[in-house]
Amino acid sequence: MDINTIVTHDLTKKFGRQTAVDHLTLTIPEHGIFAFLGPNGAGKTTTIKMLMNLIVPTSGTSSLLGVDSQHLDPTTLRRIGYVSENQRLPEWMSVAGFLAYCKTMYPDWDDGFCARLLKQFDLPLHQQLKHLSRGMKVKAALLSSLAYHPSLLLLDEPFTGLDPLVRDEFIRGILDLTEAGEWSIFISSHDLNEVEQLADSVGFIDQGKLQLSESLESLQGRCRMLELNLPAPSATLPPHLPEHWRLPANQGRRVSIFETCYHEGETESMARTFFPAAEVTAATMTLREIFVALAQSYGHRLEE
Amino acid sequence: MIPFSIDLKPGSPFCDQLAYAVKKAIVSGQLQTGDRLPSVRVLAQELKINPNTVQKAISRLTAEGLLEIQPGIGCSIANRPRKAEAKACAVLLHQEMERLVVEARRLNLSKEEVEKALTEHWNRISGQN
Repeated sequence: MDINTIVTHDLTKKFGRQTAVDHLTLTIPEHGIFAFLGPNGAGKTTTIKMLMNLIVPTSGTSSLLGVDSQHLDPTTLRRIGYVSENQRLPEWMSVAGFLAYCKTMYPDWDDGFCARLLKQFDLPLHQQLKHLSRGMKVKAALLSSLAYHPSLLLLDEPFTGLDPLVRDEFIRGILDLTEAGEWSIFISSHDLNEVEQLADSVGFIDQGKLQLSESLESLQGRCRMLELNLPAPSATLPPHLPEHWRLPANQGRRVSIFETCYHEGETESMARTFFPAAEVTAATMTLREIFVALAQSYGHRLEE
Repeated sequence: MIPFSIDLKPGSPFCDQLAYAVKKAIVSGQLQTGDRLPSVRVLAQELKINPNTVQKAISRLTAEGLLEIQPGIGCSIANRPRKAEAKACAVLLHQEMERLVVEARRLNLSKEEVEKALTEHWNRISGQN
């Protein structure tokens, strides 16, 4: 039986008149890495906080591992790991002390795995957390959330401010988790190259609304950047372009279109019906390019 | 260490890129019949990609007959197709051939130029330079 690790239904959070998360309905199956993407202020962190019952939704419901978020009990929490960008750690503890402290709360704590991660992460056992660099602190937080083999790991902007070396270690740590048993990972991030490597599926949230949720393969399969070289310069675009052609832009002889519904052959011939005698190329897009194009098509000007 | 050359680039699905890299290593002799492929875990860790992606690529290569799975041991490179099967494979290349011809014609290349380029690539990949 397939168990869905995260289910939300019409999840909504309002802060005063502002709607941060707007009727979010989402289902995430087990054994996968789900990337939750969206521009700053889209509602990602608010969603994760509602999932973890750190804030109460205005309306709607969510559940983790089959348990309603507002009724997460210690038994369920022992199977969930959570690392956020601004994780607060008991700064006065040493790394060893912090890990010993966490261990008492998790019966499934795996000393062998913990020792292996410690070595891999190269953490100084006897230093106080407050003397560690940001990257080291994030690694300590991740380690404390991995060592009990959580069935579900929630990561809120985990890569922010980490250097490439630490990112690689971090990714290896996450992948270590996937070696055995039940695991699912929910990760919100702006680091799209990392996400492209890791995710099975992606969700895109914008202004509190979920705009898409699908496998990365299908998203990359249907998104293309069309480049049309016209035989003669044209000042205008033909009317009634298909709706799945976003962001059409015209620069004299060259027209570019963000195609969100690509079918090999069909797209090219359709392009030729609108732009007769045009030379058509359809370029594949990185997740980063897709993210920027999607955000722009929802009316954002991204600061890049 | 991974026993074949691979350079993952963002843009196209990593599953396709991994399957292609293994295929290329097999035809160029970098991987030979009987060679063991690293485990899903090792490939995922080394390439820093999702193990589900690695699994998918391996399943695809197994279905195509390039890899064989020995229960309890792992994955290894299968025997190369014999001539009769090779004929069936040529049919499979139909689409790629057609695309090559279309692209070449679009760029106004002559048949000779295409043949010359094809020979160069053939020799490069087969290591006969």
